[in-house]
Amino acid sequence: MYDFVIIGAGVIGTNIARELSRYQTKAIVLEKENDVANVQSLANSAIIHAGHNPEPGSLKARLNIWGNELYDELEKELDIPLLRSGAYVVAHNESEEKQLEHYLQISLQNKVPGAKIISAEEARITEPNLALSITKVLTLPTTKVTYPWEVAFACMENAMKNGVEFRKNALVTKLEQKDDHYLVTINNKDRIETKNIINATGVATDDIAALLDSSVEFKITPRKGEYFVLDKHMKGFVNHVLYPLPTEAGKGVLLTPQVHGEILVGPNSVFVEDKYRTDVSFEGLAYVKANAGLLAEGVPFHKIIRSFAGIRSTSNYHDFYIQESKEHKGFFHLGGIESPGLSAAPAIAKYLLSDVIGIDSLYPKNETFDPFRKKQPEFHSLSLAEKQHLIEAYPTYGNIICKCEQITEKEIVDAIHAPLGSHTIKGIKKRTRAGAGLCQGGYCEEKVMKLIARETGVSPLSIAYDSDDSSLFEEETKVEE
Amino acid sequence: MKKEFICIVCPRGCHITVHEDGSITGNMCKRGIEYVKTEMTAPKRIVTSTVRTVFSEMPRVSVKTDRPVPKELIMDVMKELSKVIITTPMSLGDVVIENILDTGANIVLTRSCMK
Amino acid sequence: MKRDIIVIGGGAGGLAAAIAAKEENKDVLLIEREDRLGGILNQCIHNGFGLEVFKEEYTGPEYAEKFIEKARHLKIDYLLNTTVISLTKEEDEFILYTSSLAEGIQKYTSKAVIMTTGCYERTRGSIVIPGDRPKGVITAGSAQRYLNIDGYMVGKKVFILGSGDIGLIMARRMHLEGASVLGVAELMPYSNGLTRNIVQCLNDFDIPLYLSHTVTEVVADEKHRLTQITIQQVNERFEPIQGTEKKFDVDTLLLSIGLIPDVTLLDNLPVETDPLTKSVKINQACETSVPGLFIAGNSLQVHDLADNVSKESERAGHHAADYIDMKRTKEKGIPVQAGDHILYVTPQYIDFSWGNAEIICSFRSRKKIEKAALNVTQNGKTLIRKRLNFVVPAEMETFELNIEDIDGIGDIRVDLEVLS
Repeated sequence: MYDFVIIGAGVIGTNIARELSRYQTKAIVLEKENDVANVQSLANSAIIHAGHNPEPGSLKARLNIWGNELYDELEKELDIPLLRSGAYVVAHNESEEKQLEHYLQISLQNKVPGAKIISAEEARITEPNLALSITKVLTLPTTKVTYPWEVAFACMENAMKNGVEFRKNALVTKLEQKDDHYLVTINNKDRIETKNIINATGVATDDIAALLDSSVEFKITPRKGEYFVLDKHMKGFVNHVLYPLPTEAGKGVLLTPQVHGEILVGPNSVFVEDKYRTDVSFEGLAYVKANAGLLAEGVPFHKIIRSFAGIRSTSNYHDFYIQESKEHKGFFHLGGIESPGLSAAPAIAKYLLSDVIGIDSLYPKNETFDPFRKKQPEFHSLSLAEKQHLIEAYPTYGNIICKCEQITEKEIVDAIHAPLGSHTIKGIKKRTRAGAGLCQGGYCEEKVMKLIARETGVSPLSIAYDSDDSSLFEEETKVEE
Repeated sequence: MKKEFICIVCPRGCHITVHEDGSITGNMCKRGIEYVKTEMTAPKRIVTSTVRTVFSEMPRVSVKTDRPVPKELIMDVMKELSKVIITTPMSLGDVVIENILDTGANIVLTRSCMK
Repeated sequence: MKRDIIVIGGGAGGLAAAIAAKEENKDVLLIEREDRLGGILNQCIHNGFGLEVFKEEYTGPEYAEKFIEKARHLKIDYLLNTTVISLTKEEDEFILYTSSLAEGIQKYTSKAVIMTTGCYERTRGSIVIPGDRPKGVITAGSAQRYLNIDGYMVGKKVFILGSGDIGLIMARRMHLEGASVLGVAELMPYSNGLTRNIVQCLNDFDIPLYLSHTVTEVVADEKHRLTQITIQQVNERFEPIQGTEKKFDVDTLLLSIGLIPDVTLLDNLPVETDPLTKSVKINQACETSVPGLFIAGNSLQVHDLADNVSKESERAGHHAADYIDMKRTKEKGIPVQAGDHILYVTPQYIDFSWGNAEIICSFRSRKKIEKAALNVTQNGKTLIRKRLNFVVPAEMETFELNIEDIDGIGDIRVDLEVLS
């Protein structure tokens, strides 16, 4: 019998798992995908917002500001990357300047540290490519950028170290209430028992809630956002996150420097029917291009290496819905966690446990909790002397597999064998960045495939790109039928 | 039946039509007619492919027909290649299948295998 | 030990450059990241190589072997499984750091460097293909390696976007290995591959070529596997035309949408780049704006034929050897400008300090021109005027300039004139 089943290993579910591991509970995270953070947490702007946007007094505002602070702690404890970029919200004319003043007031009410309006001239000192039409900017020095996938990965790794279990490819297909516990059915066959269920399933939160609850107070109305990624050689084109003024549809098309040096352009915001389809369109990407031009001069679109789309789990509840089910005690929903969900994630986890569940009165502290997780060395970022030193200890650091990102055999083999390791091409890419550079894996995918085959002892025929069903190859040639 | 060809004699790439009555149009020079006539009577191609080996360092090794074979036999040549497995080190140019399908062409290695 | 010349990349370009330099008795080191020499030629198992250089037709591996044999015969030093991780220059000395399993980090120095690092394939990211981003969308070259070197088929129902030569070659290869190849879509109204490849790779097997078409939708199943694509005809502005949609059920979309020179190793050197070639600018000796740094082959400009890579790289090898013995002050040189209907031209400078080195210029047209005149002019004076028939972007053209015809000042312009 589990104390807690957490459904969903996104940035929310994994933060909750880690917070739970501070207590003596038996907990498991169930993830329908073949890896942690494979959907919404993988495809977003990666920004830890300062908090200029959420309605003062809302849960969004409170958890955003708190979450932003908590990232400094996560950085120290979990060794996650954090780019302290700061942000500028830009205005182009008098009417926009008035709105900028409005968002300054919101920022002040939300107690966003250091928020103030400065002239475009002053902003251009640090941001020379700022669009010429910009007249004033709201500066938000506490805005940061992270690698959201790694936040979830690090939280899950650390939670596992502290006793939480993890199961991937585990789609919850049925929830049943028994006398004093729940029965969770996975993939229509396996059943596990638990006292509590935490529903952190992003766009599926309302569907999962409806597996038990007869009425659900929020409905997810998913919005799709499309992005371009500019090659890391463009690092420095913008140094701050650049925001337009927010609209009903969200924070608008942004320019966001990423922790690994790329620049993200986007997103647009389109309501969609299909929660799980993340296709890109000519129109969406054209919109993104046109709007990016309002932020900076000469956005280098010829340096695009990738386009993608992400889904945001916007809900009709308008604020974060972090509540216990009205019908089922011990069934907790985290609905409508859209932006600033990533920013708020560590605070959401703490809020859920303390304010909603009241964990302190239910479970004793885990005295052996170790908050620390150390990232494996990143070969490419080391000095020549450090590289040589590492290679002396582990010669396979000398074998460069991904040339664009300078990722070595040792890093890939470690990523395969880690406790939360992966045997897929995409899993290795997320863990090591092999294939994330200019050639997008054109050169190294084959080498990664061979390493996975060698290390796991399977035939290349059974190596998958992402999901278990997405094998790289259809068949071997020259094999007689 | 009317047949259409793209001439590959020069980079111009004329679209040449051979009509049902045997007349030829679309060629910008006489070489086009020669090309089409060969293509109509006995088109031949060099076949390039691979064969299996027992060596994990080089699971496939590239091969070719050492002279053109009739176009209609290409898929049959491919079938024959599927039956071959290289088990000993061999050199570029070594014959893998002699006189394949009685075409007079040999299948030869186009690179050395483990040598 | 300081070398005379280090050649980076042991493919068609690097082999020819190293051989040429070694034949002039220079101390040459060739560095290759793969476990064998020959580069991408190893996976190009089709024939069509060598007609220019050897007057005989070879497959890629055979063509490579000709050069590898010669390199062995000349006892050229080479390193395999070795990646150059940094390239810098201090005073007159190039400093290279390499990384390898066998040797760890090593430092090498040289008087000159020849970059023959080839190119990489444009990926889906560099163009917008609407729809999902599933497994099954893969560059043609990657699929070629899986098929020819490793023996695996990436799919059985294949469509190809882009009519570059690798795509055409792969259409035939996959067909021969039992896949059904449903068609090739090309955005332009003409093919981007060699005509002979259209005939031998598509027409021979009744594989349709859809000119002025592009992929406008990619559909995946819930497992993120490719299931269907839609192609549409485009108008002159490359916009899809409503009502021309054709759907194909496929498991693989091969991309053959162009190649980009790989010059990332030059990031830390003050080289002048050329947005037209997406590489760096050179003078007639294949020398970049950094004295003693030479570049040739597909890392300089993407070629149609490996033979031309070899020939260009051979020149770079000779010039690098000359450089070792020369006493000269490098000049910036007379700019060579790509004019009307010219996509790019190399070299971008004529440097008089190279004395009487031959000046072989290469260019591509921006569009298909049936009857054209090539005009090369300087200060209003015609250096070259010649008739060219059937000029297409897919086929590189060359011309030779005579240094004695060139003034010491004034840009040289290369234009294509459309004749009626």
